[in-house]
Amino acid sequence: MSSIRREIYYVLIANKFGLVGFSIILAFALVAVFADHLAPYDPYEIVAPPYTPPNERFLLGTNDIGQDILSEFVYGARVSLYVGLTAPFIASLIGTMLGLVAGYLGGVVDEVVTGTVDVMLALPTLPLIIILAAYIGPSLNNIVLVLAFFGWSGFARIVRAQVLSLRERPYVEAARAVGASGFRIMVKHILPHVIPLIIANIVLSATSAILTEAGLSFLGLGDPIAKSWGQILRRAQVGHAFHQGLWLWVFVPGMGIALLGAGFTLLGIAIEERVNPRLRFSRK
Amino acid sequence: MLRYFLLSRLLRVFIVFFIIVLLNFLLPRAMPGDPASILANEYNLPADTVRILRSTWKLDRPLYEQFFAYLESLFTGQWGYSYKYYPRTVYELVMERLPWTLLLQGITSLTVSGLGIIMGILAGWRRGSKVDVSITVSAIVVYAIPYYWLALMLQYVFGYILKVFPVAHAVTPGLPHANFFEYALDTLWHLALPVTAVTLTAYASYTLVTRNSMVDVLEEDFIFVAKAKGLPERVVMKHAIRNALLPPLTMLAIRLGHIVGGAVITETVFSYPGVGYLIYESIIYKDYPVLNAAFFMLAITVIAANFAADLLYAVVDPRIRYVKRG
Repeated sequence: MSSIRREIYYVLIANKFGLVGFSIILAFALVAVFADHLAPYDPYEIVAPPYTPPNERFLLGTNDIGQDILSEFVYGARVSLYVGLTAPFIASLIGTMLGLVAGYLGGVVDEVVTGTVDVMLALPTLPLIIILAAYIGPSLNNIVLVLAFFGWSGFARIVRAQVLSLRERPYVEAARAVGASGFRIMVKHILPHVIPLIIANIVLSATSAILTEAGLSFLGLGDPIAKSWGQILRRAQVGHAFHQGLWLWVFVPGMGIALLGAGFTLLGIAIEERVNPRLRFSRK
Repeated sequence: MLRYFLLSRLLRVFIVFFIIVLLNFLLPRAMPGDPASILANEYNLPADTVRILRSTWKLDRPLYEQFFAYLESLFTGQWGYSYKYYPRTVYELVMERLPWTLLLQGITSLTVSGLGIIMGILAGWRRGSKVDVSITVSAIVVYAIPYYWLALMLQYVFGYILKVFPVAHAVTPGLPHANFFEYALDTLWHLALPVTAVTLTAYASYTLVTRNSMVDVLEEDFIFVAKAKGLPERVVMKHAIRNALLPPLTMLAIRLGHIVGGAVITETVFSYPGVGYLIYESIIYKDYPVLNAAFFMLAITVIAANFAADLLYAVVDPRIRYVKRG
């Protein structure tokens, strides 16, 4: 247990990137969890005339149909965190499983998995996501599934490469010699060594998942019911926020996306540096 | 070995291509209503016209025959009619928008990769210094900024408050231009904000990749030797840069593949008359033929660019092709 505590110390406390990144994520997570208490109004309720400029009751003003923008922003943290965490997590489950099996078993299984991964990595992802979202129809979970579907190949490749080197280690050979099954070796002896790398990549992929969801929502391909930051930006753009002088309507949700995204990237880099010391900042 | 490498990559290209075409073929057919009846509803076409359209598009034939007909029409540029701009053809629409997209994307590709690579070289060369930390940290922060948001904020500051740059269109609508020079100036003036917005956000990934590549190269023996024999810093840097440029150049090659799709969101924010804006319109109006055509075109160039990047890699760095996999 103490070794895990030590790792957490190195990543979250000793590493400035990790500390800043984690603090940002934690702050947004608190906002998301306590959205009901923090948001001054129900974000779906029409509480004032449309385009009310910011005042002490509506700190960011109201949108084109009179909903409180600050409340929308607070609830938006939920959507971004949800997409940012679930999509990479599902992708990592699929990718890890396939990468483990391909790397450990080799042969035909490996050929098939590697071939599929190569194909997936060569597909034009963003246009594909756009066209799929346009056809499948807007729903938050559809977006998560599409993102996961295009995200697993990266995980599979990383895990496979790692497994290839791990399975030749003496301790794995020893496990095999005393008769451990392939499944047991994969899960008990190899998987634990791959997990730090997977965590680093989940955190790093969160940024692009958040950005993609926001982009899709901004294009009108997001879930119209979910109050996401991209959705707020879309309303601001369609509702001509600038003509009304409501620049905060645009500024704040964008800052939310940028900050949360940067938080995940910083934390991801901190974990990656710990897992893969070659990348460290300081000179040797 | 080179032949094995080429064959395996070619095989991959064909599989990817096939998936794209199949998807493009199946998606519209999985939707309720066929293209002919959608057109008929939208424009109150007479029943005869609908029947003729159905038979031209072979919508009354079995699926596999439709597929071959689809392939044929795909490569002959008969991409059907736009639902929104009927009776204009999709091909016409796309070709009309393409030059604007190529202009905008061509310029941003240069500025983005140029700025990104220079910053990355500076950061990697002075690894661990204040310069490195500030360049890298700002790149990380910038990387997470949605570029359309920056575009919107630039519009607000320079378009609405200062009123120095236009916030929409590629040229001033209705303005007669005296000569080509004036026209070009007007075009550039309209490009200012979109190019700035994309450059200031997209450069970051080039910076991060170039920095890491630079750091790797600087640890190699030949750099050590170069320093040891007393070569001036400038020369050592030149050696390092040449070796560090491969990853960012590959990124650039792949980016070039995405050019024809336009920057969907940037073009939307600026109502820029490129392919990207056309894609946006086709999403909003459910103009599936246009969406499919744009997607198809984009897919082809992306695949071609990826393939080219692979070849580039193999030619420039012979070590690649001798590694069979992994």
